[in-house]
Amino acid sequence: MNIEKIKTSAAPILVMTEVSKAFPGVQALRRVNLRVLPGEIHGLVGKNGAGKTTLMAVLMGITEPNEGTIEISGKVFATMTSKEAIEAGIAYVPQHVAMMDSLTVAENILAGELPKNKLGFVDWKRVNQEAEKRLEQLNLRLDVTKKVEGLGVAEQTMLAISKALFGNAKLIILDEPTASLSRSDINRLFDFVKSLRDKGVSFVYISHHLEEVFEICDRVTVMRDGRIVDTKNVKDIGIPELIMMMVGEGVEEYTRESTCTDEIVFVLNNLTRRGCYEDISLELKKGEVVGITGLQGCGSEQLGKGLFGLEYRGVGEVKIHGEEFTAMRPIDSFNQGLAYLPQDRYRFGLVGVRPVRENVTYPILNRLVRLINLINRNEEKKIVSDYIKGLDIITPNQEQPVRLLSGGNQQKVVFAKLASTKPTVLILHEPTQGVDVRAKMDIFRIIDELAKQGVATVVLSSEIRELIGLCDRILVMNSGKLTHEYKKGAKDTTPENILNAIEGGKENHG
Amino acid sequence: MKTRASKFLAIILDNLIWILVLAGLVIFSVLSPSFRTPFNLVNTLSRSAYLGVLVIGQAFAMISGNFDLSSESGLGLTAMVAGLFLASTTNGGFGFEVSPILAILIMIAVGLIIGFINGILITRMRMNNLIVTIAMQMILRGLIYIISPGATASFFPKSFDWLGGGNLIKIPMEKGNLAIPTASIFIILAFIIAHIITRYTQFGRNMYAVGSNPVAAKDAGIETDKIIRIVYLISGFCMAIGGLLIAGRLDSATPRIGAGLIFPVQAAAVVGGVSLFGGRGTMIGAFGGLLLWSILDSGLSIMEVSPFWIEASRGLLLLFAVGIDAIKVKGMHQRALEESLATTQIGLKDNKIVTD
Repeated sequence: MNIEKIKTSAAPILVMTEVSKAFPGVQALRRVNLRVLPGEIHGLVGKNGAGKTTLMAVLMGITEPNEGTIEISGKVFATMTSKEAIEAGIAYVPQHVAMMDSLTVAENILAGELPKNKLGFVDWKRVNQEAEKRLEQLNLRLDVTKKVEGLGVAEQTMLAISKALFGNAKLIILDEPTASLSRSDINRLFDFVKSLRDKGVSFVYISHHLEEVFEICDRVTVMRDGRIVDTKNVKDIGIPELIMMMVGEGVEEYTRESTCTDEIVFVLNNLTRRGCYEDISLELKKGEVVGITGLQGCGSEQLGKGLFGLEYRGVGEVKIHGEEFTAMRPIDSFNQGLAYLPQDRYRFGLVGVRPVRENVTYPILNRLVRLINLINRNEEKKIVSDYIKGLDIITPNQEQPVRLLSGGNQQKVVFAKLASTKPTVLILHEPTQGVDVRAKMDIFRIIDELAKQGVATVVLSSEIRELIGLCDRILVMNSGKLTHEYKKGAKDTTPENILNAIEGGKENHG
Repeated sequence: MKTRASKFLAIILDNLIWILVLAGLVIFSVLSPSFRTPFNLVNTLSRSAYLGVLVIGQAFAMISGNFDLSSESGLGLTAMVAGLFLASTTNGGFGFEVSPILAILIMIAVGLIIGFINGILITRMRMNNLIVTIAMQMILRGLIYIISPGATASFFPKSFDWLGGGNLIKIPMEKGNLAIPTASIFIILAFIIAHIITRYTQFGRNMYAVGSNPVAAKDAGIETDKIIRIVYLISGFCMAIGGLLIAGRLDSATPRIGAGLIFPVQAAAVVGGVSLFGGRGTMIGAFGGLLLWSILDSGLSIMEVSPFWIEASRGLLLLFAVGIDAIKVKGMHQRALEESLATTQIGLKDNKIVTD
């Protein structure tokens, strides 16, 4: 880990030295070194699960690091509380800022220090004047008498930044600030952030939009698997290089033998949902594994949800085994042979407080109930124990609440649930997200096993290397359309080509 | 060490209700000779049987992540409807003097209609369950006055009163007979049935899933709206049975019947460990809550404690119960934060590889 010699002589505002953090079973941060200089916008990028969130949680005093020190403006902390972090000048501005929405801008700015007149009543005139004066110092023009809920998202973010600065913040963490902004809003926000940088304020800028990182950041730090890969001057690198750093090389390669047969089991014909995807035509054969990849927001996510019946599916033909697929609700989808693995298993895939046994059998309880709705426990337990053995789920017993399992084992429980419905078509959305390397291999094996049994699988994923090893075909989706196809073993099926196809599609539409 | 201590604490917290029930029984028995008479002990439960039925309905609603605040007025309305159909004109009824069986069927129908409307408004119209059921509470109370009009109906057939006010068997004792009230046995049976439904049926299991994580429940193929509609139907059914019990016990139906009952109902459920946040709680716990509530009530009034103090002690008990729930939830949130940070990491599980 060689942090490059920093040209400027100014003392860094933040120095994190050898910070490590372990959670039970997972090493979340490993000897992280990070320096942020005064008056710089410092990008922080990495895939989901790379450790950005934990690093920021440590910086904000939400979790304590196991090792290492944090130095803020010369003051050294081994551990700190969130109060100490705020006092030291750290401020966090999330994607959706939380403010007192039904109060005015001025009230929000002066909350807790409202000027009062002689009688002890709030002096509203002075409130507004004072608020205007403060905003003027930052060159921010806002109607201070307007209620915050009436402001646009960009203005709210700028107000939150300003408020942090009035509270003497020196380093502001911006977490995905542009996720729900239009281009013109982004420009205004960026101009504001840059003007503050020129005044000496430092920012840590977290984003998945790499081109924005290049637009606004001075330096960028890449994280992967809890480590800092490198910190670079933005001028010195390009997007492909940055992606390579994020994805990493030399990841354990996995390849599988194709189990594709000739029998077509799943057909999509001109499926269109306006604003999400267009003209999706696809044929899947028994035992085939097809990957769909693209940038966030390319429409693949909506396609998966639409097919499963969680969202509107759109117009077009969908057939399973030659029969029209009509399911509008998840339970019907299961019954008609289509199962779906959602991306965020905590929110969508599992009922965390309930035991493993119950989580596996929710969709198939209909087949397990005997007279008056009573569940046949013995049969249920047998099915669940078969899956625990078959998928190698590590759990003390069937009654363990799933949230107490490790990430990989939780994902296997979701797989067990889907497999128990005996699907013809399986749609997997980011199946390896947030699971450790070993569990990843297990999940690949599970997918392979299911494919051998004849399940046609669609994998929606941004993990290009994993797709190359796993899939018979990889389709690239750009702005709702399938634009490129890469076959297993073909010469042009390389990560670089696929990345270019993804990025290329972007330039045409963005 | 820390985990063992917290595990021990968790066991105490989980079974706190039974410790309190036991403590209540012992303390009042020692303090008051009239509390520990067999007569009082068997009657304590029968006096609060109607409350218990509403607790069952409320527990169903709360486990599925909802509330049903209309149940007190539902109980009142069903009791009044039955009273009007049963009683003669001189006794404040319509003078139909229908058979008890028919009256009970009408009550159940009214209860189910209330539950059906609640369920439809909440699931189809996406209205807030709290507000819908509060509004329903007011509407139903108004209806009672409209149909009665403001008068009391009384003197019902014996067979109608049997469940709420009658005796099942008489056990010969040294001094006279000890009569076992039907309602005491009935409420125990009702909780057993409720327990079987929540724990051993597909519906019960789905209900917990809906209460804990509605989105994941939907993704797992559970029809969350249907579950909630059934829950409200059950709650409506419970109102009718509650109305039957109270009308039978009093042998009359007054317009104010059940008014203000919703607070004890909520309190007993929460004291029994049914979470306000859905997805947690058992019928056995709710039964414990009911027992504690009735023991406290009966014990304090037998000892001639001022009713003002009784009211205050109920409030304290409720605060205590909600406090315990809050502590449990806070612990859960803290653990959930740590866990979610931990499990969103792509790391190597083996620490030996990690500490290179």
